Amino acid sequence: MNTTFKILIAALLIAVIGIMSIYSSASRKEGELWETLCQRQIIWVIIGLLAFWFFSNFNYRWLWDWTYFIYGIVIFLLLLVFILGIVRLGAQRWLKLMWFNFQPSETAKLITILFLAKYFSRKSVDDVALKASKFGLWRALILPFIFVGIPMFLIIEQPDLGSGAIVFLIFFIMLYLSNVKLRFIIIFLAILGLLIPLGWNFLRDYQRDRIMVFLNPNIDPLGAGYTVIQSKIAIGSGGFFGKGWLSGTQSQLKFLPESHTDFIFATFSEEWGLLGGVVLMGLYFFIIFQGIRTAQRTRDHYGSLLALGITLMFCIQACVNIAMTMGLAPVVGLPLPLMSYGGSSVLVTFIGLGIVANVSKTRAVF
Amino acid sequence: MRIRLLHFVVIAIFIFLAISLINLTVFQGGKFTDLSNKNCIRLISQGGSRGKILDTNGDMIVGSVISYDVVVLPQTRESMAKTFEGLSPILGISTEELWQRFRRGYSEPSVPVAIAKNISLEKAVALEERKLDLDGVVIQSDALRFYPYGSLACHVIGYLSEIDRWRLTKLADYGYKTKDIVGMGGIEEKYDYYLRQEDGGLSVEVDHQGRFSRVLGFRPPQSGKDVQLTLDLRLQKIVETSMEGKNGAAVMMNPHTGEILAMSSFPNFDPSLFVRKNDKSVGYLFADPAAPFFNRAITGQYPPGSVFKPIVAAAGLETGRINLSTSFDCAGSLKVGRREFKCWDTHQNQDLVQAIAHSCDVFFYKTGLAVGPQVLHDYSVRFGLTRPTGIELPYEESGFIPNPIWKKIYKFQKWYDGDTANFSIGQGEVLTTPLQICRMMAVFANHGKLVTPYLVKAIDGQDFSASHRRIVPMHIKDAVINNISKGLREVVSDAKGTANVLANIGLNVAGKTGTSQNPRGLSHGWFTGFAPYEKPKYVICVFLEHGEHGYAAAVVAKKIFELMLQQGLL
Repeated sequence: MNTTFKILIAALLIAVIGIMSIYSSASRKEGELWETLCQRQIIWVIIGLLAFWFFSNFNYRWLWDWTYFIYGIVIFLLLLVFILGIVRLGAQRWLKLMWFNFQPSETAKLITILFLAKYFSRKSVDDVALKASKFGLWRALILPFIFVGIPMFLIIEQPDLGSGAIVFLIFFIMLYLSNVKLRFIIIFLAILGLLIPLGWNFLRDYQRDRIMVFLNPNIDPLGAGYTVIQSKIAIGSGGFFGKGWLSGTQSQLKFLPESHTDFIFATFSEEWGLLGGVVLMGLYFFIIFQGIRTAQRTRDHYGSLLALGITLMFCIQACVNIAMTMGLAPVVGLPLPLMSYGGSSVLVTFIGLGIVANVSKTRAVF
Repeated sequence: MRIRLLHFVVIAIFIFLAISLINLTVFQGGKFTDLSNKNCIRLISQGGSRGKILDTNGDMIVGSVISYDVVVLPQTRESMAKTFEGLSPILGISTEELWQRFRRGYSEPSVPVAIAKNISLEKAVALEERKLDLDGVVIQSDALRFYPYGSLACHVIGYLSEIDRWRLTKLADYGYKTKDIVGMGGIEEKYDYYLRQEDGGLSVEVDHQGRFSRVLGFRPPQSGKDVQLTLDLRLQKIVETSMEGKNGAAVMMNPHTGEILAMSSFPNFDPSLFVRKNDKSVGYLFADPAAPFFNRAITGQYPPGSVFKPIVAAAGLETGRINLSTSFDCAGSLKVGRREFKCWDTHQNQDLVQAIAHSCDVFFYKTGLAVGPQVLHDYSVRFGLTRPTGIELPYEESGFIPNPIWKKIYKFQKWYDGDTANFSIGQGEVLTTPLQICRMMAVFANHGKLVTPYLVKAIDGQDFSASHRRIVPMHIKDAVINNISKGLREVVSDAKGTANVLANIGLNVAGKTGTSQNPRGLSHGWFTGFAPYEKPKYVICVFLEHGEHGYAAAVVAKKIFELMLQQGLL
């Protein structure tokens, strides 16, 4: 069985699980929004599948050529959010496009990977080895950071600290994977370490609360700590077998906020228990495993970096989200890829996985 | 290389997440399940009603009325404010007051708070109708003890109060919990296990704002079982009206079966005070030196005085130390040893019947001395003294009858003839309860059978009187009983009889008065007797604490019989 098919099946399974959980979460809530929630997600998954098919079926080298153009478009969209964006839950993250809302920060994650993969995979004329290992400080660190920093800054200002942090993490891991000298990375981390106390001052109040609450959720059990506590209750009360589909009290009776978006893992775990949770995590791991294997097998450095970056983005989002619902990470606005309700996330994730599949398919060409 | 390292990191992270998930769901699963239930499940208890206490005819002595309490599920501030605004005009309580009550009663978000207790049925109906507009309001029904006759038969019935620690340790194994309401004293205590209700409840699912979502389960409350007593409400009322204003006790019994038809003790109390939880007045009652909670009929031990004399007479006749023709001369006193033992009058020559009629002390001093203290003691035991009668009431006392060995062992003193003389007229160390005396008198009414007094006729409609009824033949010669009974009749019918006041009431009463000296104050007055003389239906014992004279007790008995005649109960 080829990798494309494996990834597609696993992703589809996760998406179906997600739709079921969204359905359950909305089943006892009244209002137009809740009733159409599931249909919208199904439509997005179908669009996502089409995108997967599309992106896995052309030569991904095409992306190499268009990287800067796409980068420009994404920056433009991010700027547009500040002007035309819809404010929801205190953040300006969405653009209204016809009948749906679009979240440009999702695409920004992908374009960062595209950009960095292109940037670091340039080869010297005489050598097959990556140029990056010979880069100096300016070319290895500062220049790419400027390119990554622009969308990152725009995302953080929305404010969407979670997505911003993801972009940053991807940048850091791509540095590491593209064989940039280790000492540059260490210098980079050291500076960062020094900047953390300074960064505290730039955080918004609610972001600080979330970090404080992560350190001790009982500081503010009805305020910032409420979500984490309720999420842990939801997951824990699921037990081994779960409460059964459509029977999760935490999500259905609205004790758990964001039960269909960021905290969908808690909704799912409450109803399917440890068993379901482990199966779901297995599915995520399976996709990640396929992605990493693809990257390892691909001889083309651009393709390899692309597959790795996308896989890791997928991995980081999944792990941080799951950790967050279990109270092991601060609450950041990160969706669980393929499961959480939200068109942009679903679409971008399918596109990303499509690219990974594309890489695995075309690797033989080089 | 770097890719492989990354691969390991990813695997490690997934293993870590899986372990965390196991920890959360399996090892801490129980805790979180509780928390989850606490989040969304509210328990609203629905009290059953305690069993009724009925009289022998099935009329209710004590029952229960349903009270309606308004209970509010804690919700968000805004929706509570809306709820209180809706509640305020219906209940006639200001919203500030409602908030105050809510805050006072609030313990934690998962516990409903009672904000108004015992509202009227109309208000409860009005609230029930507006239920949809009033989020989180539940009408909780609760049964309260209802005493239609106030303090009537309060000592037999007892009262209800929150369980104390002593009872709780005893009863925890039977499913009693702290804050349970249990019977204290009387039937309420003795038959609490049958009378008590089993509370049911409603478990309700609520959403994150505490709004009602759906009913998860309902366990209907179980009402307690009814206990039917042998008491006759009409007789009980008569006895209590006659005793009103006096201190003491009165017992009326069926001499053939041992059924207690009426039992009262004064001063009494109003058990409904405990329902309203009026702590102040209850506190007064407990502090009252007259001891209103003390059931004098079974817990009070008093020297019987002359009402003890029929036992002495029976002992004398049975042992053959005296017979019907025996007569002693009463010169107003008798010298026993070095002490003069006075009679209350100078009766001259007295035979047994006369001696009983006139309650001549000298006759009985002599009889007692002839019989001896040990035999007197043994006869007392045969007549059921020195031990509890076995009535189904808690805290019954056994009374006391002395004998020479007891005096030797416990007082290190020799038994003197003077002690025998005192013993013979029911003085000295002799202590009896009014119920014991009543039972003793029943022997003469039913021709020589010792009955066991009992109060409970049926529980939950099932007749238990057969198992309670225990009638022991005394094996005393009929002639002895008949002759003493004749004397007892003379007490009333003889012009000089001590209970002559009962003579012309249109009923042949037989009985015996008693005036017992006691160190604490005025003499106690006793009257015990039965009626009608020819075919006894009722045996009665009236005891007046510090009533000065047996005559006063006979007057009370007269009032009782007269009222009974008026109401056609004889």
